[in-house]
Amino acid sequence: MTAILPGTAPASAPARHAPVSKRKRWRYLPQYLAIAPFFLLFAVFGLYPVLYSLYLALQRWDGVGPMKFVGLENFRFLLSDATFWESIGNTLVIWVMSTVPMTVLALLIALGLNSSVRFKGVLRVAYFLPNVTSIVAMSLVFGSIFSHDFGILNWVLGLVGIDHVQWLNDPWAIRGAISIMIIWRWTGYNAIIFLAGLQALPTDVFEAARIDGAGPVQTFFRITLPLLRPVLLFSVVMSAISGMQIFTESQVLLGNRGGPDGAGMTMVLYFYNTAFADNDFGYGAAIAWGIFVVVVLFSILNWRLVQRPSRGQVSQVKEAVR
Amino acid sequence: MTLTRRRFLTGAAALGAAAFGAAACTSPTTANPGRITLWYTSNGLSEQVLGEAVRRFAADKLTPSQVSGELEQRLLAALAGEAYLPDITMLGDDIASYFADTEHFVDLNTLGAAEAKPEYLPWKWQAGASPDGFQLGFPIDVGPAALYYRHDLFAQAGLPSEPDDVAAAVPTWDDYFDFGVRAQKKLPGRYLITDTKTVFTYSLAQEPRKYFDRDNHYLDDQSQVRRAWDRAVKAFRLGLTAGYAGSQSQNGESIDRHAAWNSGKELSFVNASWISGELKQSAPGTSGKWRVCRAPGGAGNQGGSFLAITKYCPDPHAAFEIVKWLQSPANQPQNYLELGLFPPSPSVYTDPRLLAPEPFFGGQATMEVFSKTAREVQSVYFSPWDITISDTYTDALTTVESAGKDPEQAWNDARASVERLLRRQGVLS
Repeated sequence: MTAILPGTAPASAPARHAPVSKRKRWRYLPQYLAIAPFFLLFAVFGLYPVLYSLYLALQRWDGVGPMKFVGLENFRFLLSDATFWESIGNTLVIWVMSTVPMTVLALLIALGLNSSVRFKGVLRVAYFLPNVTSIVAMSLVFGSIFSHDFGILNWVLGLVGIDHVQWLNDPWAIRGAISIMIIWRWTGYNAIIFLAGLQALPTDVFEAARIDGAGPVQTFFRITLPLLRPVLLFSVVMSAISGMQIFTESQVLLGNRGGPDGAGMTMVLYFYNTAFADNDFGYGAAIAWGIFVVVVLFSILNWRLVQRPSRGQVSQVKEAVR
Repeated sequence: MTLTRRRFLTGAAALGAAAFGAAACTSPTTANPGRITLWYTSNGLSEQVLGEAVRRFAADKLTPSQVSGELEQRLLAALAGEAYLPDITMLGDDIASYFADTEHFVDLNTLGAAEAKPEYLPWKWQAGASPDGFQLGFPIDVGPAALYYRHDLFAQAGLPSEPDDVAAAVPTWDDYFDFGVRAQKKLPGRYLITDTKTVFTYSLAQEPRKYFDRDNHYLDDQSQVRRAWDRAVKAFRLGLTAGYAGSQSQNGESIDRHAAWNSGKELSFVNASWISGELKQSAPGTSGKWRVCRAPGGAGNQGGSFLAITKYCPDPHAAFEIVKWLQSPANQPQNYLELGLFPPSPSVYTDPRLLAPEPFFGGQATMEVFSKTAREVQSVYFSPWDITISDTYTDALTTVESAGKDPEQAWNDARASVERLLRRQGVLS
């Protein structure tokens, strides 16, 4: 950054500005045209639907006939809609139930991969594979794993002597089943990210620790984990974003209505069910805006949680490096 | 002229804008202008009959187009945009949700549908007409319900096992439940009923009224719904249901159900005719052991689709000729043999091809059972909200069955949420 004296800036600005009249502005036309496709596509496929959904949220519409303006009626209904509040609860519960074990598992796998193991490349690909598998195909497979009488999981539990679990009928087992699917899908992905983070850590800190006589456990908790914090936070934020959008796992495993007691009814599934199964597009749009508000609040919360410790952490790292 | 980068960019932009503008101006109302497009779902119409129709109606350029995924979503999008619409489209058994918006379709009565009417089951024909008499749908198939049961296991347990004897033993649901209790004593650990949902659904299908009257007035007296509900709860309390909730969807529970068919754990179940295909496909090892008899409680129907002609079709008369031919009594046997689409024309029920002994059902001609039911089904009004309401009640039943909710509490909650839903939709004030 070059320092600009306060006195020189106003003097030079008008002089530079004067010739930038019409001719000069047109000079940038090709550049504007070059970036225009994105803005055009965004306006057509992004902005317009967003604004239209706001308009739709004020209507009652079955998708075929004329719309009927109902004002804020849909939003009033939304606030007193127990199903909507339950769906928010379900989403958060499933998010916590999946993110916590997933992060721990991913970290363990990353540490394992970081130490000298043979066939590292193969293992990395293997761990990443679940992430690129089609969720629909995966849900069908999990459906047969979780099925009550003849599922593999209950068979294994039976071998160990544990009673059969009603994976797709009991409300908490349903949430557990969905969480297991999410864990299976995202653990490898996060492990690869953690691995990248681990490999980027400065080696001299570890050498210093070893010289000072720190054991592996001490090194992990005192050095690796604090240094890895930015990467950990990144993965938590990413999982929060995808956690708010849990949909396919529930829908394919349990159907549009989220299974018994609506235990697998997530926010996005409720939106989908209302708009596209019940053909209630006006209320569906209102739900979508409800989800938007929840996601904004959740993001603010996340951002605050992420911001504060990272500031402290940066100084910590600086001190550690010194 | 050399091609500079700037010239290229301006040229490309102009070309893009021109293409954009041109597309906007000529966006066609029908999917294939100059042709008659027919939208159908996978397994919705016999490919062989369609192939013949394409040859036969070559002059009209019939273009069948199988819609992948949900046909309804595509149809709604096309109707909302009034573009790329099919000339002929399939509609499901939720046809009533289009009755308020018939201005998008052609009244088949204006095309001479009345002449075809006597050939079809009256209740099915009426199901395709709106309360004010607009004939929206032309029948494709129906879904008469019957009791499927394991002949060999019934015989082994010393229970009645021939179709007529079983039917005589279970004329009503209560008789069926008694029968189930007896059967379970002899064959412990097995089930006679899939879940509470099927009891509710098929019990209500036997009633002459559901949730609304023909003028779309909500029936405040829900005694028929309550009757179906109580039956479902009774079956659950007697321990007769297997709890394969949602067994009609392609997910985990249907895997359990298929396995129960294979292992003989599910001794019997009430279902519509269209389940035969799934049964044959999923439990080939049980071939010859199944039989079919009249369902307890009387004749009921579940499911069945229609063909409709959109008003945007430039030549509705030609389209109607195609529809009439596709679903003519002469072509219905092929639909049944190929896809299990149960014929909506009673004259087809005596077709020797359909009365041939079926090895899967131990040589029984199931057509005899299903056709009798199909003739006896009463005409019942299906409102646009019926499916959502049904789902609300069956969800509540599933909660009773698998989450142990108090049935009375579940009933009150379900009723309250149905009324709330209808209030939001503006049906109730």
